[in-house]
Amino acid sequence: MSPNDTAARLGVPPELSDRGLGSPEAVPSQKAEIRNVNFFYDRFQALKNISLPLHDKRVTAFIGPSGCGKSTLLRILNRIYELYPGQRATGEVLVDGENILEPGLDLNLLRAKIGMVFQKPTPFPMTIYDNIAFGIRLYERLTRSELDDRIEAALRRAALWDEVKDKLRQSGLGLSGGQQQRLCIARAVAVEPEILLLDEPASALDPLSTQRIEELIAELKDDYCIAIVTHNMQQAARSSDYTAFMYLGELIEFDETERIFTHPTQKQTEDYITGRFG
Amino acid sequence: MAADIALVERSAAQQGRAGSLGDTVFRALTFLFALLVLLILGGVIVALVEGALPALRTFGVSFLFSDVWNPVTEKFGALAPVYGTLVTSAIAMLIGIPVAFGVAVFITEICPIWLKRPIATMIELLAAIPSIIYGIWGLFVFAPFVQQYIQPNLIDSLGQIPGFGALFGGPPLGIGVLTAGFILAIMVLPFISSIMRDVFETVPAILKESAYGLGATRSEVVRQIVLPYTRIGVVGGIMLGLGRALGETMAVTFVIGNAHRISVSILQPGTTISASLANEFTEAVGDLYLSSLIALGFILFVITFVVLAIAKLMLLRLQQRAGG
Amino acid sequence: MDLYTRRRIANAVVMSLSIGATAFGLLWLVLVLWTLLENGIAAITPALFSQMTPPPGSTGGLLNAIFGSVVMTLIATLVGTPTGILAGTFLAEYSRGSRFGEVVRFINDILLSAPSIIVGLFVYEVMVVRMGHFSAWAGSMALAIIVIPVVVRTTEDMLNLVPNALREAAAALGSPKWKVIVMVSYRAAIQGMVTGVMLAVARIAGETAPLLFTALNNQFWSTNLNAPMANLPVVIFQFAMSPYADWQVLAWGGALLITLTVLCLNIGARALASWSTFKQ
Repeated sequence: MSPNDTAARLGVPPELSDRGLGSPEAVPSQKAEIRNVNFFYDRFQALKNISLPLHDKRVTAFIGPSGCGKSTLLRILNRIYELYPGQRATGEVLVDGENILEPGLDLNLLRAKIGMVFQKPTPFPMTIYDNIAFGIRLYERLTRSELDDRIEAALRRAALWDEVKDKLRQSGLGLSGGQQQRLCIARAVAVEPEILLLDEPASALDPLSTQRIEELIAELKDDYCIAIVTHNMQQAARSSDYTAFMYLGELIEFDETERIFTHPTQKQTEDYITGRFG
Repeated sequence: MAADIALVERSAAQQGRAGSLGDTVFRALTFLFALLVLLILGGVIVALVEGALPALRTFGVSFLFSDVWNPVTEKFGALAPVYGTLVTSAIAMLIGIPVAFGVAVFITEICPIWLKRPIATMIELLAAIPSIIYGIWGLFVFAPFVQQYIQPNLIDSLGQIPGFGALFGGPPLGIGVLTAGFILAIMVLPFISSIMRDVFETVPAILKESAYGLGATRSEVVRQIVLPYTRIGVVGGIMLGLGRALGETMAVTFVIGNAHRISVSILQPGTTISASLANEFTEAVGDLYLSSLIALGFILFVITFVVLAIAKLMLLRLQQRAGG
Repeated sequence: MDLYTRRRIANAVVMSLSIGATAFGLLWLVLVLWTLLENGIAAITPALFSQMTPPPGSTGGLLNAIFGSVVMTLIATLVGTPTGILAGTFLAEYSRGSRFGEVVRFINDILLSAPSIIVGLFVYEVMVVRMGHFSAWAGSMALAIIVIPVVVRTTEDMLNLVPNALREAAAALGSPKWKVIVMVSYRAAIQGMVTGVMLAVARIAGETAPLLFTALNNQFWSTNLNAPMANLPVVIFQFAMSPYADWQVLAWGGALLITLTVLCLNIGARALASWSTFKQ
């Protein structure tokens, strides 16, 4: 099977299938590294010895069939799993050289640095303004006009400003699904994180909203290290620079997206990508 | 950017420390108030035992079996109030359970969708009406009605049956054990019916559809599929109703007649524990009198606690089974 | 008669009995409310709200009783609501699977259905005996003890309905747990919690037994919380059981007032609950 056949089968447009890395920095720096991570839900081991890098100003996609552990891995990066007893992780995750799985680490600080957007839009039961302000107010004491500016900046970042600038005082629950998800993205970037974790951000949205989210991710990539979990392979092929393919809790293959989708080295990867299973 | 991050980190660190202080304080606060719930129960037990001790020490176990109630000679026995409590509750259950069941079946199986909400709400309003309202209604409206129309007929018909008829003997007074039991039935049926409705709705639709698919009638599906499936919950609901009936005070006080005696006939006046307390507590003179009344309260507490605990355990078991 | 016909008759019988049972239940509701209205409406005069409870054989009003009931209900709500909310919060947010939480929940549900006269006895022993006299404080505390389990139950139920995703989203922003609860969970559950408080108030508005030996009664106007205070339920009890016609009329009037309040609160709470589900 030739690489272009594989690409064509996936519906990846030919011009993308041999694009180079294309972004301003030719050599990306490593923002985070996952080292020998294992994860357990009580007795059940959900992740086995995962190691891979996350590059700054790049998008790393995690793909794989249901239950392969990709969301579990994402949730380790901001230790959100610690809300639930019985879930634990071993190994190291280095962010800027510091291991964030250290027991004594301040979780709130960590989560200021690493933002997350979830599968279903989760607007807080407050006004749009307060939704964005919520995170900012956790960390900073700003004047009213400073806060206004930050909120406008966040909403512009999320390509939502024009649609909501006249209804900032209305409830966030009144927006459409796609708008709510962009609100959640705005909320996450408002606290000025360095890493953005996106857990299937468009899976609950219609195709048009999905497209807008993908365009947004392409813009956000210039400023953040982005890790995205997706069950939509075409989305991974379109939007990401690196792809990790996971299966049954193991990392089967990790490489530049272009190479994974055109020259996968593992048979399992190729089988998944060509739709033989999953 | 780096300087900004440092600023954010510094204030975030402060926030982090403040946050964990806030977390500790808040968690401790909620824990304390949860503990308070237990302390209230503990306090009730201690207070009742403390107050009842003089009477229990004076009369011993015979307190439970004596029907003497004489404030003058200071001889007290719990038998009459306990008997009255049990009999009125039994009558309430005998009438209330079938009616509650009928209501639950109606609402879940027969009622058209648009009517379900209003009817369910109206039945639940029966539970919202305060006990004292039932009391004065019972005294001024229901009891005279019963005295004039119901009781003479009962005495003439069922009262004539040899043996069994003794249950319906005596002059028609209107007030009495039967009247009190009947009003109790009306008061507890919304509780029992509400729980029955909830558990009936937990029966998976496909189970019922399988039965209907075989040609079963509605009553057969209810009796042979729904009831067995929800058996534990139904019993739990009945126990809850019983617990309420045992402790009901004001409605019973108005219509039971407040006579410390045990009669075979349920048309005669009697008394219940709560009615005795309501009527006599503020007028009781003498420590032994007061203590005997508190001892009655303690007995009532023990009985209702046991019944309600059993009800709760059964409802919990059903919830576990439904995966809730 | 063949089996099929017998089955059909049995079905018809059971269904008719069910309809009959429902009609039976509704009949009593209508009867009670109707006679309440019939007898009580005569007492609804301006005098009811402006004059005090009279001595036997003369006319008057229920002002001191209404005042006392409002005051004690208010205090009971102010004391019982935060207590119940905090305890319910513990059960919903901090007690995941713990033994202690299970025990508290179990005991709370028993207290919910416990005889209210026992609560009155308890507060008598703990407050009235210690203080040496009856008081409105004691009455309020007895009512508060009845409010607490209701609010605990509804708070826990409503907080459990808040989706975890919302909590995670707040935590992912770095919010400490108490802020997640207070600023996100409470806000999401607010309508249900308010409904719970309304139902608790409706419950204590008509409670007589707990006040019988705590607040007792007071023939006159009093604002002294440290002394017996008039209240509607005990006044109704006293007046209705008496042989005086004037008193009995006032008793019906008071009964009508209480019932109207309770029904409004109940229906209001239900309307609030269904309005919030409609909004979502």
